[in-house]
This record gives sequence, C-alpha cells and structure tokens, in this order.
Amino acid sequence: MDRRSFLSALALLLSGCMPKSSALAVGSKNFTEQLVLGELLAQYLGRFTPLPVDKRFYLAGSYICHQALLAGRIDTYVEYTGTALVAILKEKPASDHAAVFNTVKDLYSRRFGLEVFPSLGFDNTFAMVMRGSDARGLRLKTLSDAAAVSSHLRLGVGYEFLERPDGYKGLASKYGLKFAEAPRVMDLGLLYRALQNNQVDIVAGSNTDGLIAALDLVVLEDDQHYFPPYDAVPIVRRATIDRQPEIAAALKRLGGRISANDMRRMNYAVDGEKKDAAAVVKDFLARNTSLF
Amino acid sequence: MALPDFIVAHKREMLTLTGEHLWLVGVSMLLAIAIGVPLGIFLSRRPAWKSLILGANNIMQTIPSLALFGLLLPLPWIGARADRLAILALTLYALLPVVRNTYTGIAGVDAPVREAAIAMGLTQRQLLWQVELPLASNVIVAGIRTATVITVGVATIAAAIGAGGLGEFIFRGLAMVDNNVILAGAIPAALMALSADFVLGLIQRSLVRTHH
Amino acid sequence: MTDSSAAIEFVDVTYRINGNRTLISGLNLSVRRGETLMLLGRSGSGKTTTLKLINRLLAQSAGKVLVDGRSTAVWDVIRLRRHIGYAIQEAGLFPHYNVQNNVALVPRLERWEAARIAARVREVLQLVGLPYDEFADRYPDQLSGGQRQRVGLARALAADPQILLMDEPFGALDPITRGEIQHEFMQLKKTLQKTVVFVTHDVAEALMLGDRIALMDSGKLKGVFLPAEFLRSTDDSVLPYISAFRASQQILNSGA
Repeated sequence: MDRRSFLSALALLLSGCMPKSSALAVGSKNFTEQLVLGELLAQYLGRFTPLPVDKRFYLAGSYICHQALLAGRIDTYVEYTGTALVAILKEKPASDHAAVFNTVKDLYSRRFGLEVFPSLGFDNTFAMVMRGSDARGLRLKTLSDAAAVSSHLRLGVGYEFLERPDGYKGLASKYGLKFAEAPRVMDLGLLYRALQNNQVDIVAGSNTDGLIAALDLVVLEDDQHYFPPYDAVPIVRRATIDRQPEIAAALKRLGGRISANDMRRMNYAVDGEKKDAAAVVKDFLARNTSLF
Repeated sequence: MALPDFIVAHKREMLTLTGEHLWLVGVSMLLAIAIGVPLGIFLSRRPAWKSLILGANNIMQTIPSLALFGLLLPLPWIGARADRLAILALTLYALLPVVRNTYTGIAGVDAPVREAAIAMGLTQRQLLWQVELPLASNVIVAGIRTATVITVGVATIAAAIGAGGLGEFIFRGLAMVDNNVILAGAIPAALMALSADFVLGLIQRSLVRTHH
Repeated sequence: MTDSSAAIEFVDVTYRINGNRTLISGLNLSVRRGETLMLLGRSGSGKTTTLKLINRLLAQSAGKVLVDGRSTAVWDVIRLRRHIGYAIQEAGLFPHYNVQNNVALVPRLERWEAARIAARVREVLQLVGLPYDEFADRYPDQLSGGQRQRVGLARALAADPQILLMDEPFGALDPITRGEIQHEFMQLKKTLQKTVVFVTHDVAEALMLGDRIALMDSGKLKGVFLPAEFLRSTDDSVLPYISAFRASQQILNSGA
C-alpha cells in the first residue's frame, strides 16, 4: 500500500468510525426505569423495522450512553431533557418545559447530529421523598416546609445527584436546606431501602419511582421550581433515521402516550413485584394496542 | 441459565463487543508500533535521549489505567469521543515495551557486525534495514507481544468510560450481579489475550529460525 | 611532497579523543601500491586507530589521509569504504545471512548483475579454500573459527578492492589453524597483488607476511623496516621485539 492511502486509512481509523453492524441497537442506563424504557423502545420499534434489535442496556450513566450514541454503538436511548441540557450540553438549568425541550432538540441536532423526539409523556424529575408517616406527622407538603426542619433530617442521595450542577448543591442553596450531616451517598437502588429502614429521613429519588406508592412514601412538592424538567425523550442518530424512516414515524406516534402513572406501575412491577422488565413491557404493549 | 446457553443466546452481541474490543486493541497497537519502533530506532542513534524518553514512557505506565482515562477526559477533541480517548490511552500504555525493546534489540546487535557493516560501506538506511532491524526483530516482536497482551487487558477498562468492548459485559454483569454476564466478557477477553500471546510467540519463534 | 605511487598516505596526522587524549601524533607514512605493510605494535600503540583512519571509521583531528591521491575528507565516505576491503578479528559476519549472502554483500550493494555476483562468490570462496557447494548455504554459527575468518576474507575481497585493511584477523585462531591461514595468505598475496595494511602485535606474523613493517609505539611511528632490517636493527623500540622473537625461537629450538 503506498504511503498516502496508508495515511488516509489511518486517519479514518483515528476518527473512530468503526465498522457498524446492521441491527437496531437500543441502549439504556443501569436503573429500573431505564431498563423498562429500553425494553419499550426495543419491543415497540421492533414492530416497525425489519432489522433485528440489539439491546445494550446497563450502560453506566448519561455520559456513556451519549458516547455510545455518537460512536454508533447504539442507535437510540431515552434521555431526560434536564439531564441533556445540563450534564451533556453543559448549558445553564432552566425551568420551562417547552423552552428546555426546544433548546435540547436544537442543540443536539446542531452539535451532535442527533434527533430528539417529543416526550414519551412523563416527567421523571427529581423527587425529594420522605416516609409517609413523617411527612404527615411533621405536616410537610413542600420543600419549603422541609427547609424549616432540615437540621433534623438525614439526607440520602445517589452519586450523580451529588455531583451534578442541577443536583444537591443548587437544591440546598435554593431552599436553604441545612442538614445535620453530610448527605449519605449510595447506589440508587438502595435509597428507598435505606429510607424504609430509617437509616435516612429524606432521599433524592425520582417522580416515577415504583416504590413510592408501594411503600407509603410521599413526594414533597418543588414549590420554588428548582428542579428543571426531566421529560423523557427518545434520542436517535440521524443516520439511523435516514436508513429507517419508519422509526421516526413510530416515535412520533409514541409521543405523549406514557403517563407518569404508567411509568410508576411498570417500575413497581419490576422493583416491587420482581417481574422481568421485558415481560412487564410486553404486557403493557398488549394492553395498549392503540399505540400501534 | 448455563453459561454456554447464555453465550449462544447473546451471540450477536458478543460478536459486536468482541469486534469493538479487537478494534480498540488493533488501532492502538498499530499506532504504538508506528510511533514506538521509529522512536526506538531514534534512541539507538541518540542514546542521550534515552533517560528522557524511556523515563516518560515509564511514568505513563505507572499511572493506573482508569486514572489515565480520567486525566484525558477534559482534553478537546480527544475527550469528546470515548473511543478516541481510549485509543490514545491504550497507545500510551503500549509504547513502553515497544520503544524499549526496539532500542534494546538494535543496541544489542554485535559490535563487530555493526563495525563490519559500516566498514563495508552500508549507508545508515541500509544498515538499519539489512542488519539492525532483522537482527533485532526477535526482541522487537517480544516487545510487541508484551504490549498487545497489556492492551487487551486495559481495553476491558475502557468500557468504564464508554468506549465499548468486552469490558461492557463485565461492568454490566457487576451491575446486574449476574455471573454469566461477567464471564461472557471476561472469558473472551482472557482468550483474546492468550491467543495474541500465542500467535505472536509463533511469529517470534519463526523469526529466530530464519535469522539463526 | 606527496608520493604518487602511494596507495595510502598519512601526512602529519594527529588523532585526539575527548579533546585532550592523543592516540596518534605527527604520523607520516606512505603505503606503496601493491605492498603488504604490517602495522606492528603493542596494545594501545595506535595501530588499529591508524587503520581506521584509512576508511574513515575514525576522522583525524589534524593532518591529511590520502587514499589514491585524494584526501579521505573529500572522498564520498560510502564510495571510499566500498573501494576498500575490511577484515577484523571477530570476522563480523552477519549471523542472519548465509555464507553466500555474506560474501555477496558489497557486490550487491554495488548492483552487480546476478550472474556476475554468483560467479564472483564462487571464485572468491575458492580463493580462500572453501568449496562453494559445501559452504555457500551454511550460516556463520555453523562454521569453525577458521572458516569464519576465511569467509570474512572472502567478503573483503568480493568486490575486488585495490586496498585491503586487516585488523589482527588471525589473532583469535588456534596456532595450527593460524599457521594454515597465514600460509594461504602468503600464496594469495602473490596472486592478488593488492595493497594490504595489516595490523598485528605478533612479531613472527609481521616478519612472515609483511613486505615492510611499520613499528608503532604510544601513538608515534617509530620506523618502517624491511623484515631483514628489522631483525638487524639496534633501535631501542625494536630491540624488545627482537629479543621476544629470539626467545620464542629458542624455546622451539630447544624443544626440537
């Protein structure tokens, strides 16, 4: 091989374009709701495309999912608008749902060549969750209420919440929360167990956590609108849509069809009833044939 | 589910991840050789640079791989894509054995042989290609062999920063607390390292035979 | 004034290393075309250094070295070296080349045609007493010390250079083999008629093989002698050699 073709081959290699497989690869992060959403995309889109569907779940976080999308290792995954705005686009947090969605859609298209589809229909915002008995006993309904007694509360959080710019620091500052000790950091999956076992008094969970209803837990209202919207939006590589336009049509149909309650129920089925995520989603799709 | 059944059921995914792993290792090794061998040759001509270059390489290898990935993340262009970052880090790790062995191999050419070659009127380039590189090839390939085995191993960590590869199974299996998944990543990675070592060992041995 | 029948000439040559260690000083020496000149001296006398100045493996600090009338500084160094044959004590054969390829090295570099190279390799192996069919495919590690030296000599002669430089080529051989090769060398001398500069510390070898002997001591040329002159000389630097030579003769004679 002569020098020039060798060098151009090398340059191509370096730009990271790996040879791709011809399947539709659906990604997800590594917690229950993401697994359910991943299954949802995989099973739903699977009906609209002739390609085999590959599942690449349990990717450890937004950064890794985003990288996988850029590199073409996955074709799509469901991200939350607030996360996309702050953690990936590194823009300042904002609270208007429509504005955030439009910014994310626009910037993802321009910076990354990725298409952002309309929200699936629910907002998985951060929820500050307490034991029902405590909330009722202390008469706490909103986060402003909680600020008054925060020195008596122990806080439990996941790693991402602690580190993210739109996480713990901003919340504590906005509401004037002054906890007695530093927040206890633990795996997301362990937060509710810790709450239940009285190891912590308030945790940074999510609006759609299945265990909220099952364990008699209460979500304190974000009355000062600190948390940005976290609408669940499917994100797809442009190349994938060009190749398989039926996917775009399918995702537009799916927009707005999954409510927060739907999500909580599916999450609970997996977390609380220990059912298999794939089976739960299959069941859901079977009961909601109007989606097709 | 027994491991063999798991592997069969996830055949396509295993092939994809294995392909990604081979990709990471392949590109990094190509770069390490393309940079490392000339660098080793340069060192053999200017030994004064030895402590600087070998020293720098040594430091690179001392940094734990995960730490190196983290250090490179903020860099523009490199940090923007996890596979670029992983390839850069893997290349840096693979450099030391290649550079050091190339230098040692060439410096190890018998002095009388070198003297005779120069005295007979070989140019520097002829000396390099007809005498030094052939005689050093065994040692150089040994260095490449070491580097390749290291790279296959460190590439499993690359999944932690989103570069894909067999490490993804391992990390996923840890998150799922599922041994099958872990092994589905760990075993192919181990096999890959062993095969690379074996094949390069064969190449090494065949070089010894040709060059007596 | 330079001597035009001189194949090699040293004019006021000095060689220093590390700025202040002088290995050769004020060397003036002519090597006549077609003669075998022995550079005789103890270790450290500067004889090997002198040899290496001829094919510019080393460059003099002062003075001129002329080969075929031209200064070595002016010659293209590659052409100079290909013009001169070089044989050393360790032979320095390429371990990864067989005998054939070792010998053919310079002709190949000089781009001779394949047929000419093949013929020449045969010829020159014959000259040094190694039958082609038996030795051409062997590798250096399959040869004895004496055989390696012969191949080294063949290699040096392969491109038919006019000048041959030899640095204690037979020094590492056992006495019997050494004797054989020295004898063969004497025969070769007559056929080949090349200019040879031969470094040795062995006075017997110098007397036997040399047309003239250049005695060196501590980087200086002490004198150039015909073998017979050397033995008759009363020069202080020569005397130790003569007594050493006589002593070894006596041991041989008394043993007979």
